[in-house]
This record gives sequence, C-alpha cells and structure tokens, in this order.
Amino acid sequence: MKRMWRGFFDSDLVYHFKRDKVAMVSFSILLTLVLISFSAPLTAPFDPYDPLQIDIMDSDIPPTWSDNGDERFLVGTDAQGRDMLSAMMYGTRISIVIGLFAVALQLVIGITLGLLAGYVGGRVDAFLMRVADIQLSFSTLMVAIVVLAIFQASLGADLYSEYAIFMLIMVIGIAEWPQYARTVRASVLAEKEKEYVDAVRVIGFGPLRIMFRHILPNTLSPILVISTVQVANAIMNEAALSFLGLGMPVNRPSLGSLINSGFEYMLSGSWWITFFPAMVLILLILVINLLGDWLRDVLNPKLYKG
Amino acid sequence: MTTASTPLVRIDGLYKRFPLDRGLLEQLELDGLRLRRRQKAVNAINGVSMEIQAGEALCVVGESGCGKSTVARVVMGLLSPSAGQIEFAGQRIDGLPRKQLAPFRKRMQMIFQNPYSSLNPRMTIRQTLEEPVRFHFPDLTTAEVVERVAEVMSSVGIDPGWGVRFPHEFSGGQRQRISIARALTVDPEFIVADEPISALDVSIQAQVLNLLMDAREQRGLTYMFITHDLSVVEHFGSRVAVMYLGTLCELAPTVSLFSTPRHPYTRALLSAIPRLGGAQQDFIRLKGEVPTPIDLPPGCVFHNRCPHADARCKSEIPRLIDQGDGVQVACHAIEEGRIE
Amino acid sequence: MALLEVRNLEVRFPQRSGELVALRDVSFSVDRGMRMGIVGESGAGKSVAAFSILNLVSRPGYIAHGQILFDGEDIVQMSPAQLQRIRGNRITMIFQDPMMTLNPVLTIGTQMIECLQAHGKVNDREARRIAVEKLRQVKIPSPEARIDQYPHELSGGMRQRVVIAIALLTDPDLIIADEPTTALDVTIQAEIMALLLELCKQEGVALILITHDLGVVSQVTEDTIVMYAGRIIEEAPTRELIDHPRHPYTEGLINALPERARQGQRLNQIAGSMPSLHVIPDGCAFHPRCEHTHERCRHEIPGFTGTTHRRVACHWRADQEGQEA
Repeated sequence: MKRMWRGFFDSDLVYHFKRDKVAMVSFSILLTLVLISFSAPLTAPFDPYDPLQIDIMDSDIPPTWSDNGDERFLVGTDAQGRDMLSAMMYGTRISIVIGLFAVALQLVIGITLGLLAGYVGGRVDAFLMRVADIQLSFSTLMVAIVVLAIFQASLGADLYSEYAIFMLIMVIGIAEWPQYARTVRASVLAEKEKEYVDAVRVIGFGPLRIMFRHILPNTLSPILVISTVQVANAIMNEAALSFLGLGMPVNRPSLGSLINSGFEYMLSGSWWITFFPAMVLILLILVINLLGDWLRDVLNPKLYKG
Repeated sequence: MTTASTPLVRIDGLYKRFPLDRGLLEQLELDGLRLRRRQKAVNAINGVSMEIQAGEALCVVGESGCGKSTVARVVMGLLSPSAGQIEFAGQRIDGLPRKQLAPFRKRMQMIFQNPYSSLNPRMTIRQTLEEPVRFHFPDLTTAEVVERVAEVMSSVGIDPGWGVRFPHEFSGGQRQRISIARALTVDPEFIVADEPISALDVSIQAQVLNLLMDAREQRGLTYMFITHDLSVVEHFGSRVAVMYLGTLCELAPTVSLFSTPRHPYTRALLSAIPRLGGAQQDFIRLKGEVPTPIDLPPGCVFHNRCPHADARCKSEIPRLIDQGDGVQVACHAIEEGRIE
Repeated sequence: MALLEVRNLEVRFPQRSGELVALRDVSFSVDRGMRMGIVGESGAGKSVAAFSILNLVSRPGYIAHGQILFDGEDIVQMSPAQLQRIRGNRITMIFQDPMMTLNPVLTIGTQMIECLQAHGKVNDREARRIAVEKLRQVKIPSPEARIDQYPHELSGGMRQRVVIAIALLTDPDLIIADEPTTALDVTIQAEIMALLLELCKQEGVALILITHDLGVVSQVTEDTIVMYAGRIIEEAPTRELIDHPRHPYTEGLINALPERARQGQRLNQIAGSMPSLHVIPDGCAFHPRCEHTHERCRHEIPGFTGTTHRRVACHWRADQEGQEA
C-alpha cells in the first residue's frame, strides 16, 4: 500500500500538478467548497430545514455588511427567514451529491454497455451504438423536463418532493450514459488489438473476465477525463431543472432551487437571495471544468512528451 | 498420447478468408446482364497443410502478407478457419467451444512479437504470471503458486523480487522474457512463437534466442517459430516452411533448404539475405510486385514474378509434392524437372 | 577539406530528473562521395547524431556543445534562413517509414514539385520533368503515370523508392538515411539498398547510413562507425571492421549474429544490456559487460587511438597494440 502512495506522489500527475498554478488553485477552491458543504450539519450556523429555527420576522434581511444587516446572518435571509449561508451550504452539498451519484449511474451503465459493444462487436455493437445515437439526439434537459414534469403531475407536489433527489439522479444518470459508452467502446476497440488480449485468450480466460479484469483498467484514462466534465454538467443540469421548479423542492433546496426561490425578488430589493447561490454555483462548475481541462492535458501523452 | 507417427500438431487444408466489410449495394456487381453478389475478402491462407512432430522446431518464414502470423493464430484458436482442420495430439481442436478447448490451453501456448503491448500495462508482473497458474491449477495453495511463479521467473533470468513492478519498468528484452515466462507457467508441450525477437536489439536477440533454445532442451518443448529473419531460422530451426501469399511453397529440413533451395521463391529469398560477406552480392531480382491477397492471381500465386513461369503455372495451382528426404515443394517447374 | 566535419558534439535532453546526455563528445568526418555507416543498438544515439547534423534535434533536446562543419560553415551557428538553404537541398534525409515521410493527401508529383520549387526557381513544367526523370532513375515503371498517384496506391518498396527520388531531387551533396529498409521485406530491402548504392556511386553523393543491421552496412558502406551509449567507440573501413573488429563490443555484436554461431549451439551472447542513458557507468560505458575490464576501465573514459578513419576507444585494445589510450 505504502508503495502505491509513494508511487502516486512521485508520479507525473502530481509533478505536473504542482507546477500548474491554475490546477492547484482550482483544486483548493473545490476542496474548500466540498469540505464546507459536507460539514454543513456540524458547522452551519443554522439548520434551514428545521421549522423551529426559522422566524418569519427574520425574513428579507440583507447581508451583514449592508445597512440593515444582522450579524447572525452573514449573507442575509430569504423570504421565509432562512439563513442564506446555511441554506447555501446544505444546497451545495445536495448539488454535489446529485452530481456525483448521477455520474456514478452513467458510469455503471455506460461502461458496461461500452465494454460489451467494443469487445463483442458485430450486431451487438451496431445495435447498442444505434440506441446511443438515438439517445444522444435528444437533449438531456429536454428529456428530463418531460419526464420530471410527468412524474410531478402524477405523483403530486408533496410526494414528488420526497423522491425528487432520486428522480434527478436517475434521469440525469440514464440520459447521459452514451458519453461513457462511446468513450469506453473506442478504448476497448483499440485495446482489443493489442497482444496482451490475445495472450489471455490463449491462456483460456473467458470474455467476461477479459473485459472487466484486463481491458477495463486500461480504459480508465479517458473515463477519468470526461468524468470531471460530466460531474460539472450534471450539477448544471440539476440546477437548471431545479430552477425550473422540476428539481429539488424549496424546503430541501439545492443551489438551483435557491436561485429559483430568490428570482422573483431580484429586482424588488432582496437581490442577495439569488445572487450568492448563483455565484457559488458558477464557482463550483468553473473549478471542476478547469480541473478537467488540466487533467485532460496531463493525461494526453502527446502533449506532455518531455 | 502421441505415438511415434502421430504428429503433435497437424494442419490440414487450411483456408482463412477475412471478408471485407462492404454494404449490400457495393457487393452487387453487373456480370453481363445478371446482377451478382460478390463479397470481397482478404485471402490470407490458401490451402496450407503441414505436420509438426513432437520435439522439433518448425520455422515458418515468409515476407509480410504471406499469412504466417495468421496461421499461428488459427493454430492457437484465436481465429477460426474458413476451411480445413487443426489437430493437436490427434484430436481436432478448431471450432471447439471454450470449455472443451480449456484442457488444450495448458498444453499449447503462444509468445508474441511486440514486447510493448504483449503485457497488460496495468497489472504487475506477479499478477500477470500468477493468473494463468491459478486458473489452470486451482488446487495449488497460494504459497505453491508464488513458488511456481518465482521459479519460472528465475528460469528466464528475471529476479523474482521484481514481481511487484509494472511492465513499463522493464526493457524490451526483459519484457519478452516475461512473456516467455507467462507461456511457461502452465508447463506447455507446444509453443507458437510469433516473431518473438524481431522487435529487439541484436545483442538482446541472441540472449532471448538462447533462452528459447535452453527452454526447449530443459522442458522438451516443440516450437512453431514464425519469423522473417532467415539467419535465425538457419540456426534455430529443424525444419522450415516457406510461405508466399498464403500458400506453402516449400517445406524442408533446415540444412537442405539452405544448401539446396528448390522453389524459385525460396531461392530468391535466400539470395536476398544481407550477409556479412559484403560487396555487392548477386541476388535474384524478382520482377513485378506482390499481388494483393484480395484478388489472388489464378494458378500458382507466384507466377507473375517467377522467372520460370509457363502457361501451366498461370492456370493450375501446384500441389505440394514430396521430393524425398523430407523435402516437399509446390512448383510445376520442379515437378516437371524444368529447373534444377 | 572534408564535406562534413562533426567536432565534439554534445546533445542533451532536459528531463524531470535532470539532463540526459544523448551524445557525448562525438566527432567524425565524411568526405565527398564517401559512404559511411553508423551502427549501434537502440539508445546508442545514432539517430540523434543524424538529426543533429541538420540541427533537427527534437525539442526539448538541444545541442549543448560542438561544431558541425558542412563545407566549412558551422551548422550549429546558422540562422534559420541559412539552414533552409541546406536542409532538403544540399543535405537530404531518408527516413525509415515511407508512409510517414510522404504526405498521404498529396500526390507524389505535388510533393516532388513542391520540394523542387522550395529550393530553386523552377516553373511547374520544368519541375515536373525533373521529377519524372528522378522517378525513372529510381527504377519506378511508367513514371509519367505514377507521378500523379497517391502514396497509398504504391507498395512499400515503391514508396521508399519515391522517398529516395525526393532525396535526390536537388542533387544534394550528402544523403542521411536513417534505417531506410528496416520496415521493408528482405527481398525489397536488397533491391533498395542496391539502388541506393548505385545512385550514390553514380552521382557522387556522400551517404551516411544509420542502421543496426551489420549485414546491410557491409554491403553498402566503405567506412563504419560504431556507437555505444552516446559515444563513438570504433571506426574502421567496413570490411576491416567486420573481419577484424577491435573493440570488444563490436566483436561481441558480430559474434552474436546467428550467422556466426554453429548450427544448434547457443549463440554467443553479450551479457547484460546497453545502459540506459540515465545511468551510464563511470569510465568506459561498456566496462560492466566487457570480459577484458581492468581497473582503468572503471574510472577513465578511453580516448581514441588510431587515425581519423581507423580508430578505437578501448584501454585494453590500446594496451594490446602497445599504445596509450
């Protein structure tokens, strides 16, 4: 184990990381956001879900540094009297969780189908890729809106809110598996031609073992690269859906729902209700994308040849 | 069980065609007034038959595109024949489902050409070598597996302590040794080596070749050695099969092939080897170019380049005929006694 | 004056862990019309040496030290404009893989004409005439038709002939051929090497042939240099090098060939392998593998004994011949 860690820290990845300021800064910001949001139950000043802690009299208070600010609420409160800072911390956590789980679902479906299509080839490949093509021609958001709207109408608003997080993960997860499938398939097609695959066939291993034990580890590089982008996209998609009212409900808001709930107050004075969640969302997606760009450049063998 | 007469490996009337992917519309052709469907294919192997006796080192030589690597892959079961059979120790093995082929896998193994892609870059050497052992000998304890792997690693000259390293930490020559070790872990009787030293430096070639020779002596192995390097063949092989465009031209014991090559192609090939003798050597210049395997020439595949071709050569495919002393040649001119 | 004179060339490659010295103190000279071979195994530095002559070391490598005098002028000091007049014009190169050298989306003719026009004021018709003539010289049948074909329409051997034709287009003084036949079949190899030899003799073009194949070198070159771990260790007229090698490595290399072993016996191998450029031993780089090593070899890099085209860098050999190394 120790050897693995030492190997990692000695590796090219870490070496190039330390030399790239953008990567380091992005990573630190991301780490900070993740730590703050995931420690919310312990560190948030208030619990925005606890109706006992909310006082309608505290509503619409601007951030601390403005005239009517209150030192209890660092960035002000919303229309119900919830502390924006706490709401944002919990909200960020939900956004990240949905992003990660949705991508995990995409990974599992995409990798399995990509491996099958690439390794088995022939009709199986043709069929799966046509399905993927068809799915790709529909925009994720459009499909998600339709699906979620139908669910919301049939389940009713309350029941829907309870299952919203699962619905979001499922819809975003299932909508985007073709990205992974195609990437994995391309890698598998390349790896299949290599002699180590012939070697294990000659030893007598079966196709399942060869696909998952031998080929899959060699397709991880491109998977890693697109994963960062996919996480960012998933977070964005979720934010958009919540903004449209089809995602997380107002009482368990993600960043998107927070932006939505404050939207009507944008011009009437309480600008901070929308503004700060929006800034956090932008920052989150930006650093993930920057890290993804850096990762792609580092893992590209042609670019970093010396 | 092989008796003195049963060959260890028998290749009988082997054909292999690789269809070229073409849509239905492209396959249709106008022949006179009729619409015909013709599927083009690469005719990689065109009627090859040979036997490999236990204990010998049969070298299959030929230039690129002659089909020697394809033959190796069909023999090992990586590809299935379009026609013909492969027999191992008297039993037919081509077309067997994986489960039934499993016991044969222990007896026949393969070594590949490219040391850089024949080892899984994401597995340590230990993992690469232990996996086949565990698979074929499930009753061994962990300690026994480790010991067996260590023993095989030492026998190819790799320090067993380096088992935790990854392939990229080794040189080309060392990787090839590891590939050989992998083939030896299951204790096979028969090894197909597909250009195992072509990608290595000259001084390393000598080392690896010696290793293969030692392994043959110590373990009583039978080899099918694919190569384009004739000087290696002269040194290492007991018998040689010369291939051209998917057909067997000549099959003979090494000594006779090199002292008296018979088939015109064999003669041209031998004369072209750059020897240390130096000075502009007289090599036989072949006219024309290698035809494409997609559209095989009729008759003898070599006729358009052969200085001795006549009308019969253009229309009739020569059969492999015994010339005595274990020499077999497929050539009309030889059969008719037109050339010495 | 020699056509090409390389003096104390040193090429380095900056890496993560410090600088790698790919060529160390390399000096040799090539006369007009001379055919010289550079042999060595991979990692010895022969390709780097070839590319350095045209100052084409791939970045981040660079020439740290030394002079490359071509017809008296130092290539290392030249400006890009001056280099342009030499590259592809007075010194041309032939690479190993013709498919990589030839642009797959341009016809042969376009590539050849482009080359001619880059180095001189020739109009299209004249350029085409010269191109066809060169194709004929390299024995390509029906050159007027072939000139309009694309590289993929030609076989491997033909493509390499085209590459040779391109190398001869501008009537260069020197051709550098880097493993020109390694990717070709044996029968084609023989033809291409014979062609190259004939043309060089005919046109009086000097040739530097880089290869690992001693057989090829023995047929084409007059003089051969042997490289090991970034240094030259022996140079001699080719015939002499092969019949009477003086450096233990050269001897080992020749003896390791299957030709030199007895049928069925083990080959004479050289123990160990060439050190990676990261960990070159002190003293003579070959000493860990040499059976004649003594104390001096471990610490002192051997200098050359002999003349310009007949020298060897080996303490043991120097002692044998009663000289100082």
